[in-house]
Amino acid sequence: MILNKESVALMQKKASQYPRRKSGILPALTIAYRQVGHLNDQIYREIAKAINVPYVEVAEAATFYTMFPKQPTGKYLIQVCHNISCALLGADSLVEYLEQKLGIKKGETTKDNLFTLISVECLGSCATAPMMQINMDYYENLTRAKVDKILEELRAKA
Amino acid sequence: MSTSTTTQPAVKMVTLTINDQSVTVPKGTTVLQAALGAGIHIPTFCWHPKLKSVGACRICYVEIEKMPKLQVSCATEATDGMVVKTESDIVKRGRKAVLEFILANHPLDCPTCDKGGECDLQNLTFAHGLDDSRFDFLKRRHIVPGVPSTFDDLRIGPEIMLNRNRCILCYKCVRSNKEAFGEYDIGAFERGNAMEINAAPGEQVANPFSGNLVEICPVGALTNSDWRYKIRVWLTQTTPSIDIFNSSGSNILFYKEDHKNRIFRTISRRNDEIDDGWITDVARYGYQLVHSPDRLQKPLMKKGSKQVPVEWEEAVAFVARRLAEIDDTKGCVCIGGLASPTLDLDSLHSFSKFMRKVIGTNNLDFRIDYRSLPEKPDSAFSTLSSQPFTIAEIDTSDVIFVFGSDLVKEHPNEYLRIRKARNFGRPLVYSVNSFNVKSADVADREFIYAPGTEEVFINGLCLAAIEENPGLSGADGLKRKISPADLNSAAKTCGVSAEDLKALARTLINGKKISFIVGDQVSLSRDREVIAAALCNLNRLVGITSRGQMAALARYADSIGAEKLGLIPNPHPDVKRALTDLWGGFPEMAGYHTEGMFSQMLKGELDAMVILGANPVAMYPDHEAVAETFEKLDFLVVADLFETETTAMADVVLPLASWTEFAGRYVNLEGRIQKAERAIKPLYESKPAYAILADIAAAARKPLFSSAREREEEIEKVLACTTVRPWPGDYLDVRPPAIDKDPAYPIMLIIGDDPHHRCYVTEKAASLVKFCSDAYIELSPELAEKFKVEDGDAVRVESKYGKLMAPVKVSRVLEGDVVFLPRNFSVTRANSLVSRKARIDWVRINKVSG
Repeated sequence: MILNKESVALMQKKASQYPRRKSGILPALTIAYRQVGHLNDQIYREIAKAINVPYVEVAEAATFYTMFPKQPTGKYLIQVCHNISCALLGADSLVEYLEQKLGIKKGETTKDNLFTLISVECLGSCATAPMMQINMDYYENLTRAKVDKILEELRAKA
Repeated sequence: MSTSTTTQPAVKMVTLTINDQSVTVPKGTTVLQAALGAGIHIPTFCWHPKLKSVGACRICYVEIEKMPKLQVSCATEATDGMVVKTESDIVKRGRKAVLEFILANHPLDCPTCDKGGECDLQNLTFAHGLDDSRFDFLKRRHIVPGVPSTFDDLRIGPEIMLNRNRCILCYKCVRSNKEAFGEYDIGAFERGNAMEINAAPGEQVANPFSGNLVEICPVGALTNSDWRYKIRVWLTQTTPSIDIFNSSGSNILFYKEDHKNRIFRTISRRNDEIDDGWITDVARYGYQLVHSPDRLQKPLMKKGSKQVPVEWEEAVAFVARRLAEIDDTKGCVCIGGLASPTLDLDSLHSFSKFMRKVIGTNNLDFRIDYRSLPEKPDSAFSTLSSQPFTIAEIDTSDVIFVFGSDLVKEHPNEYLRIRKARNFGRPLVYSVNSFNVKSADVADREFIYAPGTEEVFINGLCLAAIEENPGLSGADGLKRKISPADLNSAAKTCGVSAEDLKALARTLINGKKISFIVGDQVSLSRDREVIAAALCNLNRLVGITSRGQMAALARYADSIGAEKLGLIPNPHPDVKRALTDLWGGFPEMAGYHTEGMFSQMLKGELDAMVILGANPVAMYPDHEAVAETFEKLDFLVVADLFETETTAMADVVLPLASWTEFAGRYVNLEGRIQKAERAIKPLYESKPAYAILADIAAAARKPLFSSAREREEEIEKVLACTTVRPWPGDYLDVRPPAIDKDPAYPIMLIIGDDPHHRCYVTEKAASLVKFCSDAYIELSPELAEKFKVEDGDAVRVESKYGKLMAPVKVSRVLEGDVVFLPRNFSVTRANSLVSRKARIDWVRINKVSG
């Protein structure tokens, strides 16, 4: 079992709140992601069993949502928005800067397993573009200086 | 045939205009269905008549007045006064645009695609004259990693190939799998441009209905590996036939090539009254056994200790001579016969006449695997099994009660019906059985009664009904005849609580239209008479058949035909009279049924057997006893498609033609007579059973029929008799017999068909073997944990009568102390574990170490 007892209990509680069990799949995926940091077939099976839904429907929902990483990531998953508002305000150069700074290419993880860098579709924060999400937190109105500071703080925390 | 006393609420009708034609349809009908009903064709990809509409493909665009844009007709409800145009310029432009979008990614590989010639997309593209694309970027391409081919050929199931590049994402396969079959082994993954249909990660598409997914694919994305690249569709001819592996008789179509005398595939020939266009994989791939290299090619005769091939004339003359000798020396009472209930009407009637008129014996039966057979003609079970049942009535039933049946294995078409009733209506469905079954997934509730307590459960239902409604007539009379006579002790014995019994009784009392299906747990039970008596009481008390239908469903393609033609020693009096009139006589001896013939054989009082298409040595309960019985015979003649355990003991083995090789008629479980046309010429030297019997009769100088016409007329006359037996005029005694249980054998064994096999012949069909090639012990996760076994581990199953070894399959449905063993494999003979005398087959299991 990859999922711990707390996660399973929480999934079951969430699933029981909906008129249709199937609706519990998305909360369950989020709970699993928060515990494990990524998702895979084994986790889909465990979710299916925990909330008694077909395995294939868990897999369908999970793969539909690109926001769930399907491979292990570094401790911090940096998701830079590359949609229109952020792109106009320099998301591309921000990604380049991060690549340079971290010494990795987009889609890769640093050797110390601390950072994984990806770019994602709109995160719904166009007013504060350019922006990125690291794990569950938003970092907005980014500049190179801000990025330096954020990375430093995260390194210090790790 | 059922008489429904309820009046359907009047359906509101709406009238609309389609292409200047006025069309009136019930409210709730879609524009698409209204048009199709009026004979107006609208192209579709994602729509299927038996599934809910989703409007995914957009090709069914129509123009509707006062609506600003084109509408998808499959998801637009027809309303009064609507004016619809299906062939206007704007509609054509819309369709063309949809096609252009679909073709943006669809490869133009029609010459190498197996769907070419019967592809909806190809036909539509051709019809709309689209010859160029405005998209100049590269098409989306899925490439299987490591496969050095530009084709994205992915095997997603034992018989299914997937080409994701050709897929137009109509979701019809995924939807039908989930909606119509209740299976979850195929899905739609990722999204947007990356979206793809595929098998569930790490799994195979191998459900018992999986072949249908290929059939309904509108493009060449899903193809059968049994058909693809063998022949192009326009080089084939088609022959209508029926599925003889099931008692409902789904309608099918064979694709064959006359010059090659070969069948290439089977597809469904939709009959809404029987199959809704869905056929099981057994029906789809079962034809392959016809072309199996193991087919018997020539008659075999035992010379010395070996069976050697001989010419037909020699074999027939020998059979006629030996039967005459035994008749002369011992009398015709010493000759018996068994015919398979999967044979056609002509063969069955010829068999009846051959045994009764030519030989003069009344020892004949068609019940080849039933464990208990009553002596009396007016048995409770005969009443129950002769009741009319109409498959399509399930659709409109508001209470569906499945009693003692593993539906997916026994009656797959009816399972799909119930599923459809659930999808489109709100019936209450109950599954009641002694073990958990897959088909309970359509049930509102599943009830499990204790092993061997069917009649106690039904008594409990009766008692609960009386408590719920003391006004029911004859309640006191009933209570005197049954034991236990109080609800609580009945509930305690059968293990279903009094509250649940009362709730069930209430639904039966209040149901407006009931479909009550009785399955193999009753039909094959040693004590089926008692259970049937309890069910007769329930019907008398609650009046199920006055508001619907209730029957023990027939299990084989022509069981009802055999029953109606009187292929039992003691047929229905009307049938007996008809036969006597036709033949100017009827054997005076009482005659023995299957079970009786076997005991006579064991005693040495029955010396010769004629067996047509049956394999009792492998299929009848208690393998050892049956084998010993057959060894006592002086003379055994067996006609079959293959060499079997039974033909191995025969003096003469005759090659039988399969149902594809001659035109035959079969009576399905509803009593519907259906014809399977001849698709190919008989292979090798095989002959249909009726021809074999005619040859033997001619050799004995007692011709069976003067012409085929005479044979048909006789059959018409016998079939004209009604064989429905009336319900008993009073309550019947129901005293549950004791259940023997030895603590050394704590686990209940269930023997039945694997979902991909039927009886003993389907292991000769290559595709079906790909789904399941060997016997297995399916056991509950609890038992797996208890014995520390996983999938594939070998276990020994042992009963008082025999033991065998098989690999484990941990079940997804079974719970508790129960194991399932398929009876379809010759190397693992399930019938060696069971006795004819036991009600429940108790076993114990051990893990085989190493």
